[in-house]
Amino acid sequence: MKKIYMIAVSVLLSIAAAVTALPAGAGASPADNGTFTVGFDAEFPPYGYKDDSGEYVGFDLDLAQEVCNRRGWVLAKQPIDWNSKDMELKTGSIDCIWNGFTINGRENDYTWSIPYVDNSQVVVVKAGSDIDELEDLKGKVVAVQADSSALAALTSEDAEEDDLALAASFADLQQVGDYNSAFLNLDSGAVDAICLDIGVASYEIESRKGFVMLDESISTEQYGIGFLKGNTELRDQVQETLLEMAADGTFMETAEKWGLSSSVCLDKDTVIQDDTSDPSKEEEPLWEKLLYIVKSLSEGLLSSLAIFFLTLLISMPLGLVVAAGRMSKSKLLSAIVSIYISVVRGTPLMLQLLVVFFGPYYLFGVRTTSAYRFIAVIIGFSLNYAAYFAEIYRSGIQAVPRGQYEAAEILGYSAPQRFFRIIFPQMVKNTLPSITNEVITLVKDTSLAFAVSYTEMFTIAKQVAAAEATIIPLFTAGVFYYIFNALVALAMNKIEHRMSYFR
Amino acid sequence: MSLLEARNIKKSFGDTNILKDISLDVEQNEVVSILGPSGSGKTTFLRCLTMLETVDSGSISYCGEKAVSTEGGKCVYAPKNDLKRIKGYYGLVFQNFNLFPHYTVLKNLTDAPVTVQKRPEEEVTAEARELLRKIGLSEREDRYPHQLSGGQQQRAAIARALAMKPRILFFDEPTSALDPELTAEVLGLLKELAEEKMTMVVVTHEIAFAREISNRVIFMDGGYIVEQGTPSDVIDNPSTDRARAFLKKLQAQAEPGRQSLHPPVDDN
Repeated sequence: MKKIYMIAVSVLLSIAAAVTALPAGAGASPADNGTFTVGFDAEFPPYGYKDDSGEYVGFDLDLAQEVCNRRGWVLAKQPIDWNSKDMELKTGSIDCIWNGFTINGRENDYTWSIPYVDNSQVVVVKAGSDIDELEDLKGKVVAVQADSSALAALTSEDAEEDDLALAASFADLQQVGDYNSAFLNLDSGAVDAICLDIGVASYEIESRKGFVMLDESISTEQYGIGFLKGNTELRDQVQETLLEMAADGTFMETAEKWGLSSSVCLDKDTVIQDDTSDPSKEEEPLWEKLLYIVKSLSEGLLSSLAIFFLTLLISMPLGLVVAAGRMSKSKLLSAIVSIYISVVRGTPLMLQLLVVFFGPYYLFGVRTTSAYRFIAVIIGFSLNYAAYFAEIYRSGIQAVPRGQYEAAEILGYSAPQRFFRIIFPQMVKNTLPSITNEVITLVKDTSLAFAVSYTEMFTIAKQVAAAEATIIPLFTAGVFYYIFNALVALAMNKIEHRMSYFR
Repeated sequence: MSLLEARNIKKSFGDTNILKDISLDVEQNEVVSILGPSGSGKTTFLRCLTMLETVDSGSISYCGEKAVSTEGGKCVYAPKNDLKRIKGYYGLVFQNFNLFPHYTVLKNLTDAPVTVQKRPEEEVTAEARELLRKIGLSEREDRYPHQLSGGQQQRAAIARALAMKPRILFFDEPTSALDPELTAEVLGLLKELAEEKMTMVVVTHEIAFAREISNRVIFMDGGYIVEQGTPSDVIDNPSTDRARAFLKKLQAQAEPGRQSLHPPVDDN
């Protein structure tokens, strides 16, 4: 068995290495096919987002369109998962990242255009809250977007002393997947403040009601267009046209249209400076990187394990109760339970988690706390798995021959004795293969907790993958899940073997 | 006082009348065999007597205690606690044994006396071992049912019923799931029980066996008792055409197996 794991692990790792080693510089010029593919996070207004009519629009996309018009290229707007941006760029599926993309802290990771937006990181709180200045954030729960400039400003190695101290004063710094989720969290009270870019903050405050921005800001940062490292040819082409646009006023017109005139930093007099990147910076050795990845994932694994074991602990007995309700002689009870089972099985678990987490606030006005996040995950998972276990139990119970009930009846067993002494052991044996399936699915499903921004192993894998600009963490997470499941399968096999003493 | 008094039992499933009007008294130490073609209602009658099915009307009492009675056309069962006590007077041996597969042979015998009758475990275990010795399964007490032959399983099932110390024991075609050679060992055990004056009601197709062990034979057909009397009356000189035709057919089938009445005492 051990040998198989070793082989599986080495195969996965070599695939990972092969993928990351793909040749750089593919898709050097859009001129090849005349298409300029811009990668952007479609949930990042006003730089790039989906508007009410379903079109991808935004300041950056307008700029990209104008560049294409002037260069005679066709613009392809490619919304991407922000965590996967580097893989998209490396594999050549996009030509650049143009999406309020912060240069600071990433100077050496991309070939950058000159900065065209200067942005500050600010703090947004609920209107009427007791937070008026940065100092008031002490002991509060603050949200930032995963791998965002705000996160970097507060926690990265290059962060200012003041900002690090500020972050340390928070009760918790929550990473959320997107700003919509961040504002839902803020609105419901699960977090007390959000740190984000000023441009996004202004836009969000205007489109949502009841939020204000603090006067103090955390940091200042610059946006540029990020190209694959080494792709100066395309960078120069785009940059030349962008400067042209700045010179003839088109750039500022576009900025005004999007309400960004106060943060843009290109004007008629902008000239190209030297490349700011420092190509001499050494790469970390692979094993060190792997060690870091494994360490980070191990921390997340604890959260995944917590979800896994608590869910089993609650949903397995709960499933028995649900199964009893389903088989109840009361038509009403049976109908209610049937509806519950069909809703749980008929809708995505991710949606159920969102409903459990945000439901109390939006349905009943109950303020959500951050501690509720984990509880919501466990409630959501348990309710979901209980429904599946209930159906498995039901089939297992119905598979016990009628004669077993009658023999127990004749011998005078009471109903509970009959169930727990005679039927239950046979049911367990009948259902073990299906239960194994369900338990293995649960191992993988734990990753869905990211829907409510609960940081478990896969969320961390995505974050590390984004920060390290490599796909290895995702593969490593795959190996972790595989090993986890191999152990589960082994344990279930043991149990099945134990139950084989009778037929 | 009769051990069992069943009067005017009627039972139908939907529009089908299975038991039309059946009465049966069983006295202490009596062995009653019930014969009859399939569909005659024998098994349903047994299931009504053992309360696996409810009757539509009629009355049943065990040892003078009313389990069900019918007054003014309304069929009433005794209160739950009374029924529980009454159910303790009888046992039932199934066609398919219905041993508990997850219990050893010994545990099959001891579990109900300990958990249901709340008798001390050592006492019950000692009695169960004695029963197993008697039926020749002492060596097999730690085996699970699936490790036994059909005949051994049925003998264990009989021992399980006896461990409850019933006053009357019902058998629902106890050998019809068995091969002829296995049938013999089960019938042998029933014969021993009859010799020990166990009160028994046996639904069976084994005519030779019925003649040998029964005090009384009942022939059922179409939901009625058509004939009853001593084995020689009913089996050798049936007074109705239906009984005659049925017995003739059955005897023709059973002929090759007659010597099986004297089975080896040991199990294989």
